[in-house]
Amino acid sequence: MTEEKGGLFRAIKEFVYGLAAHDSARYALKSRASMEHLFILITMVDMMGVPIVPPYYSLMLLPYVVPQIATGKRRMLREKDLTDALA
Amino acid sequence: MNSVIVVVLGFIVSFIGYGIYAKYIDKKVIQADPKKATPARMYMDGVEFMPTNRNILFGYQFKSVAGAAPIIGPIIAIQWGWLPALIWILAGTFFIGWVQDYTSAMVAMRNDGASFGRLSHKLISPRARIILLSFIYFYLLLIAGAFGNVVVSTATSLKAAPMAWLFLTVSGVLAGQMIYKWHNDIIFTTIFCVVITLIGIFLGSLLPSDRLLGEYIAGNKPIWAVIAFIFCYFAAVLPIWRFALPINYVASYIVFLGLVFGIIGIIILHPDFSLPAYTSFSIKIGPLWPIMFVTIACGAISGWHSVVSSSGTARQLENELDARPVGAGVMFVEMFLALFALIIAGTIYTSPQDYSAAVKVGPASVFAAGVAKFLGVLGMPADIGKAYGSVMMIILAITIMQLVIRFMRVATSELLSDLHPLFRNAHVGTLIASLLGLVLVLTGWWQYLWVLFGGANQLMASLALMLVTAWLMAEQRSYAWTLYPMIFMFVTTIAALFVTSLSLLQKVFTGAVTGEALVGNTLMGIVGFFLVLCALVLGYDGIGAFRRLRSKAVRGEI
Repeated sequence: MTEEKGGLFRAIKEFVYGLAAHDSARYALKSRASMEHLFILITMVDMMGVPIVPPYYSLMLLPYVVPQIATGKRRMLREKDLTDALA
Repeated sequence: MNSVIVVVLGFIVSFIGYGIYAKYIDKKVIQADPKKATPARMYMDGVEFMPTNRNILFGYQFKSVAGAAPIIGPIIAIQWGWLPALIWILAGTFFIGWVQDYTSAMVAMRNDGASFGRLSHKLISPRARIILLSFIYFYLLLIAGAFGNVVVSTATSLKAAPMAWLFLTVSGVLAGQMIYKWHNDIIFTTIFCVVITLIGIFLGSLLPSDRLLGEYIAGNKPIWAVIAFIFCYFAAVLPIWRFALPINYVASYIVFLGLVFGIIGIIILHPDFSLPAYTSFSIKIGPLWPIMFVTIACGAISGWHSVVSSSGTARQLENELDARPVGAGVMFVEMFLALFALIIAGTIYTSPQDYSAAVKVGPASVFAAGVAKFLGVLGMPADIGKAYGSVMMIILAITIMQLVIRFMRVATSELLSDLHPLFRNAHVGTLIASLLGLVLVLTGWWQYLWVLFGGANQLMASLALMLVTAWLMAEQRSYAWTLYPMIFMFVTTIAALFVTSLSLLQKVFTGAVTGEALVGNTLMGIVGFFLVLCALVLGYDGIGAFRRLRSKAVRGEI
């Protein structure tokens, strides 16, 4: 019974979080992701065939960018349209 | 009839719809599989694709879909009588509403989290995507116009609302500063900012705008329309954490508290319906079919839900089994919101004349009177209750409106930036969107605007069902349960948009309207016909796609 109560309380807490703050958290993440896109575009765009920064500097920055390469590429190259911006 | 019977009917429909019908579709037709990797798991990027707990998603989906529409629709539609409205809310949700919300999420999930633009390109035709996106732009414009009108009519008719709105804005901006810049404790920030807004509601009842600003400014529609769009302008051009999001955050608590206590008040009071069950087939805004079916959009079926389900929720569901509680479950909860609005409108007036006088001013006065009555049961003084109801209505409308203007800014840039680089500028895009919305608010009659918005919204729903049906055909699954609702919605909404646009333009050509009404009728009529045209082209392409998919299925190519 106690566990059920805890489950219900947790569910309500999560519902209120979803209602009030989940959207804000998503927007904050999206804003950060946009900045990261710019950073990757400036420093690592040679991975997509458009060299801007000389490869020497790209190589120096590479260790810092490695964790974001896979997801960053997926996000940047994914087909997008207006409906993506709506939700 | 007693309002408790309406609530009981709601529970019965939810039990059968969610517990039996939706469960059967989920298990037997869609065959939701908990072991299947969802896009949120496969493409997790920590931003858009992120596995999220279903309780959180339930709250997110509810917040994203439940705006002012499920409340305003029934308040207007009760002009045909409460019985047709009640039947449509229950039957619409049971046969169409949850079907659309749930399947939009499922189709997107089974297609790697693709948005509707991509899906329409893939399943219908390449030009379907372009038409869909143009359609969405005008759909957004009608949302801005219809909801802008609600904000303006609330601010001008309920004089306590502006003060509360001002305090909400200040507390929202303060909440953004406290959370993101000063890094204050979130619980403290929430309580502090919600209390400031509550103080604003109290002050609004003490110092109404006519006493503070004078009768002329307090009741001046253009002034409040400009203020509403300046508000939206800031929401569109400022960083989203600075203005739009924290205001929405604080506002969500005000609405949530109001709804919870309002519902408790209704349950305690359980009043009888005082308005007639049925009035007439044809009333001033149009005939029962098709107009009532678009007047009540959210609460029965709404195209906006399909966009949220496909582009937002589908990318966060961590398990296919969660699509039913989140997609379908939220729709049944929203149905209750519409039922409570119906109870408010149907029970608080002693005669149809009183209701007509109130609704003539705007739906907000009906809603605020209802909130005041039902919060009054819990001991809240009537004037504060009315101020609370009015600010709830402003919140429900302006929070959607500000996001819509923001989206329109993005859309303007997307659609027009190839013509001239100037359109890439955020201020130019926002100004265009705001001016178009402002013209609609200032020149359009709010009930026609609402019908057009409802028509566009429902048309979006039928297009979503068209995509779902095409996908079911491609997958060789049973599709009658989405095809027939789609046909009904498609025919009904095209008829509604056509009838409304025709009647608007007829008044223009016969010289029945002059001045600002001439501008409003022309603009609304043209937008309505444009939407009909888009829908017809999409319908034509849709039929072609259905034929292609069926013949492929017969030949065994898919």
